[in-house]
Amino acid sequence: MTNLRFHTAFAAGAVALFCAACSLSVTNPGPLQDSQLDTPAAIPALVNGMSGDLSFALGNYIDRGALASGELTEAGNFAAEQQFYNGIIRPEDVNPDWANMQTARWVAESGLRRMQEVLGAGFETNVDTPRAYLYGGFANRLLGENVCTGIIDGGAPQSDSVYFQRAESLFTRANTIAAALNNTKVATAALAGRASVRAWLGNWAGAVTDAAAVPASFRFDAIFSTNTARENNDLAVQTISRRETTVYGTVYAQIFKDPRTPWDTIKTSGNKVQTGQDGRTPFFRQTKYTTLGSPVALVKGAEMLLLRAEAALRTGDIAGMTTLVNQARAQYALTPVATPANENDAWTLLMAERGSVTWLEGRRLWDLRRWLVAGKNNFLQDRSTCIPPSANEVASNPNL
Amino acid sequence: MNVSRRTRCGRQAWRIIRVLSPSRAAARLVARVLALSVLAVPLHTLPLLAQGTGTITGTVRDRAADRPLEGARVTVVGTRLGDIVNEQGSFTIRDVTAGQVTVRAQFLGFEPMEQSVTVPASGSVTVNFTLQRAAVALSGVVITATGAEQRRSVGTAMATLDTADIARNAAVNTQQLLAGSTPGVTVLANSGQPGTGGSIRLRGVNSVSQGNNPLIYVDGVRVFNGRTPTNVGGRQYSSPLNDIAAEDIDHIEIVRGPAATTLYGTEASGGVVQIFTKQGANAAPSWQVGYTGGINNMGHVGPKSDPTGLFFNECRGDNLKNGLGVVFEDPTCPSSGSWLSNGQISRINLSVRGGAPNGVTYFVAGNADNERGVLPTGASYGRGLRANVSFKPASAFKVDVNSSVSSNKLVGFPDGNSSSGAMLNISRGPNGNYKGGGCTNPSATCVLNDSLFNNDVTNATTHYITGATLTWDPTTTWSNRFALGYDYNNAEINYISPFGDLRVPLGQYFQTLWTRQFLSADFASTYRRPLGTKWTTSTSVGAQMFDSRVYSTDLQANNFAGPGSPTLVSGSLRQITDVNQQRVINAGFFGQEQIGWRDVFFATVGVRVDGNSAFGKSFGLQTYPKVSASYVISDESFWPKNFIESLKLRGAVGDAGKAPGAFDAVRTWVPVAAENGQPAFEPSQVGNPDLGPERTREVEMGFDAGALDGRIGMQYTYYNQKTLEALIPVAQAPSLGFAGTQLINAGELRNQGHEIQLTVEPVRTRNVNVSARVGLTMLKSEAGNVGGETLTIFALGRTFVREGYPVPSYIGLKVANPSEIADPVIEQDTYLGSVYPTRIWTPALTVRLWDRLTFDALGEWQLGGHNMNAVGYQNANLKVWQPCYAIQTKLAAAAAGDAGALSDVTAWQRAQCTIVSSQRDYSFWVERSDFFKLRSVSLTYALPKSILHGIARNGSLVLMGRNLLTRTSYGGTDPEVSDQRDDTFARRDYYVFPTSRSFTASLRLTF
Repeated sequence: MTNLRFHTAFAAGAVALFCAACSLSVTNPGPLQDSQLDTPAAIPALVNGMSGDLSFALGNYIDRGALASGELTEAGNFAAEQQFYNGIIRPEDVNPDWANMQTARWVAESGLRRMQEVLGAGFETNVDTPRAYLYGGFANRLLGENVCTGIIDGGAPQSDSVYFQRAESLFTRANTIAAALNNTKVATAALAGRASVRAWLGNWAGAVTDAAAVPASFRFDAIFSTNTARENNDLAVQTISRRETTVYGTVYAQIFKDPRTPWDTIKTSGNKVQTGQDGRTPFFRQTKYTTLGSPVALVKGAEMLLLRAEAALRTGDIAGMTTLVNQARAQYALTPVATPANENDAWTLLMAERGSVTWLEGRRLWDLRRWLVAGKNNFLQDRSTCIPPSANEVASNPNL
Repeated sequence: MNVSRRTRCGRQAWRIIRVLSPSRAAARLVARVLALSVLAVPLHTLPLLAQGTGTITGTVRDRAADRPLEGARVTVVGTRLGDIVNEQGSFTIRDVTAGQVTVRAQFLGFEPMEQSVTVPASGSVTVNFTLQRAAVALSGVVITATGAEQRRSVGTAMATLDTADIARNAAVNTQQLLAGSTPGVTVLANSGQPGTGGSIRLRGVNSVSQGNNPLIYVDGVRVFNGRTPTNVGGRQYSSPLNDIAAEDIDHIEIVRGPAATTLYGTEASGGVVQIFTKQGANAAPSWQVGYTGGINNMGHVGPKSDPTGLFFNECRGDNLKNGLGVVFEDPTCPSSGSWLSNGQISRINLSVRGGAPNGVTYFVAGNADNERGVLPTGASYGRGLRANVSFKPASAFKVDVNSSVSSNKLVGFPDGNSSSGAMLNISRGPNGNYKGGGCTNPSATCVLNDSLFNNDVTNATTHYITGATLTWDPTTTWSNRFALGYDYNNAEINYISPFGDLRVPLGQYFQTLWTRQFLSADFASTYRRPLGTKWTTSTSVGAQMFDSRVYSTDLQANNFAGPGSPTLVSGSLRQITDVNQQRVINAGFFGQEQIGWRDVFFATVGVRVDGNSAFGKSFGLQTYPKVSASYVISDESFWPKNFIESLKLRGAVGDAGKAPGAFDAVRTWVPVAAENGQPAFEPSQVGNPDLGPERTREVEMGFDAGALDGRIGMQYTYYNQKTLEALIPVAQAPSLGFAGTQLINAGELRNQGHEIQLTVEPVRTRNVNVSARVGLTMLKSEAGNVGGETLTIFALGRTFVREGYPVPSYIGLKVANPSEIADPVIEQDTYLGSVYPTRIWTPALTVRLWDRLTFDALGEWQLGGHNMNAVGYQNANLKVWQPCYAIQTKLAAAAAGDAGALSDVTAWQRAQCTIVSSQRDYSFWVERSDFFKLRSVSLTYALPKSILHGIARNGSLVLMGRNLLTRTSYGGTDPEVSDQRDDTFARRDYYVFPTSRSFTASLRLTF
């Protein structure tokens, strides 16, 4: 009898417990499983994500790139940013930059593969397809212009030009499909993007052809927004909300009333110039981006004109270069410049003009790097010229 | 994602019955008789209700001191009848079935005693006990997963903090009670902010990724064992464990290691802490009121060589300059010239304990605690209420309902790696973020650090625990226990920078709304019976279900329109930055068989089977076995008792586990906004569909010995743990797209150590009693193969897990020639030290004089650990770290061409204080964190009746102090602190405000 009662009581307890747990389920509304993106309905948001990841990577890198390339001066207390400003780019300081750029590339490239599988025959005619190619191209260009080593999907290191090669291919597809869909904006942006990477690959003739097809007033932006913190333009955060970096101490602090490189100062109650976050450095506030939602140009017609100008200069055509430079200046209602007397002066002019047109767009480090190699500019002499594979990549990639 | 892995109820129920039954036919039988059980229950009790009853009264006193043992428990063996001894030492047990019964008196720290009495029907009988103090108790019971178990039969080490331990400790919460309490327990306070939670480890670290918090049970009901989210600005968290008022705690049992926690199953490999609160008594109401007043006080902050104490002790005067001679001034510095002041402490608690004639007993208590820190802001306000009620609906039944509610508000200040942090800004002198005007010296850098204290940092928590336990003992050999528990934690965590803040002029508001619910159902049944004259058997089975739910929402608002008290809608930018809603269920059952031989030798085998909704699809039920044995060899006739009168040998081997996180198995994407508010996805979690729990197997053996009439006691335990299939977060190459880590069951962690506790009572007289104890914990943790990689735990903290080294370790650059007068020779990628201590000594002394005055002191050495002095690292770079001033001057002179400038500067000093940015590294600031702290000192004076004048029955006055003395060679502010928003596993002293000391006086009266 006792045994029976024993088993009875135990079984009653056990079953009661499991009945209480009848809904043996685990729930977590919010995140989506990977397979849930395998539907045409998810494609627009997937491609928006490509745009968002590109903006996030670019927005968070611009101030660091600007510090490393002399576009801005450190005025805060962030240790890593101080290193960038000092021309020291260390693997441990670039974990977020490397990861953000690689994520932007991977999301676009893997997203395109997913879209091909999900959309099938409709892939080529889907309105989001050329956008996806375009963001993939710009993500690769961002890597190619700023990192030192080509690493794709955990693979072995290769030349950094691999990013430009991938970008060229992606831009080409973007242009082709966008043109077929009569999406002129995306098609033109793809041409402009391809023009730049073709130039960086040494195909200046191809670059000139593409650049010439881009209207002088054209502009295609990386989108930022005040909608959420993740969509913020981080350079604006660091220079509007905070005072971490300043124009003070750069060549741009000597340029006044140039709409391409605008800045101002803030006066304290004692009528002194406000200092940066470090309490020492005068705070010259960049005003190119005045809100946390200010967009950043990925390509501009003016840059295309300067690309063509550089191509002309490379052939010794100083007059032709000057003409194109002045066409670019006209976009900003700036007075024309005189034709330089010699090639050195021409390069000085061109480098300055390109610096002003692409100021604070994450492009300067690459320009200085390639001009250093070409012997045209020595700003990066004895300084880091690019972003090395991050400490996390080195630690986790068995091929490194 | 709305993942659902539903399992049909019937199949689950059948599976558990089937597993527990020897055959399918037996399982069917069990299932069939199930329906009869409800009817069977009242039938069992009817005969008992029909018999006549009587009353047992008596007293329980300490034999040596001849004083009442208030709180001792007296029970009628084989029944649920009993009472708690009151302050006069007396007890009353009513409704005892007439006839001969055995009465047992027991009190923690004393040998239990039994006496037989004959209870007359409708009458009473008196029985008095005098208990002998025991250095090592081998008798009595402890509470295990199966329920009450004889202490002598338990094959693993169990530590108990008894009422006396708790009363003389100046602790105000559970975390402080556990610190230095017993070998194997490591407690690290993470911050000096009042009310913040610390880190608790039992037997070190046996999980890299799943946390190492012990499971927490309160009055037999499992509760949430984690923490609240970390405050964005304060960078610390609140610990729900600390919501249980120390005054409400009767005793604590600490179960260390998987060999002892096997039956607790998945999630139990970090050990178990069982907290038992005070219960009612069959007596007239006894009121107790206590008031504590005192102060928190901070001594010198930071390196002793810095006269300004990192500009906390001095914020005014000629010393306000950095290493380059840059003078600064802070017109907002308090008039005292220091940011530090004494923070008031006041606590009041009131409780009543008693019982009603109908058998209902109760303990009701309330407490209100107010504590201010030593900075202009920083305080903790706590309110708590507890009601523990017990009653017996029938003689075989007992119902305990224990409920508590507490409300706490932590008002902190920005700290740690926060741009508005107190330590970050004040210690940086002229380099702080709060610059402004109003200074008298026009050439001085003007800082306004008072502004940082305008930031609101609050953690407001509400914690409700209720548990109902039904105990049914239908016979003297069969006991059943069914418990339902509900644990509710709610927190509103705010960090507000007001409009006009110097750092964030338009202001910002971060809020986390967090609710954690933990439901548990727990059933255990034990059947004991003799097998002949020498053998006994004890069979236990049980099942548990735990349902854990979390709801968390992170909100943010920026840019207030103007001054005033903002809400989230005051900002022009409002965001919901994260929402987390998870529910995870763990269910399992166990069986245990214990064979006893002559009440001397006990062998136990058990198994736990668990299912968990977080397991990957390929994992079904997980099985955790255990085997243990204990041998009370001193009870053998051959044992010579003239020196060592009690000795128990014990050994055990068992498994316990840790489940992966709720959705670690699944690759996920998270919805975000992009393209100006358009819907988008971004990669979230890599996922691994093959995840299962990690499993820790432990072998432990040791002994408990008492000698010289209980004057000397010693407990020794050796343990060896191996965590197999450890859940290792393998960092994904960022170029693979998912930037995070992927958990895999690939690692092996090893953990072994020795735990020794020696208790000595050299003087034991009626008027003078001196007892001392010392605990020693030796831990050796080591990573085995962890997937062939060095795992990054926290890169900036230089914290990694690498094969052959402690878990976790600091690894980085090492100065190979630290003492040489030379440039540093740097070794790359080198082991720098264990993050956690490897040896802990806890000496304690108690002196009692004339049963009137009691002095108690508890100290703690933690040795072998390291901490990263990131304050030194950062401030040295900013030329504001005083120990580097002279060195950096010499380094600058050498850089300017003075060849002899470095004639007395070692390589280590050159590395730490380098003035070359590219040569800086956090590694050089990983320092030994060895320390001694005088955790608590108390002096208790039992007030004589002549003073009480009949106002109270008795009373005491207690002078207490905590953290009165710290000795350390650590160069930072406090070897114990760590920024908890950086990482909760790694430790980095990144501008975390240190712990303070406290002085209090308490008056306790009983009416």
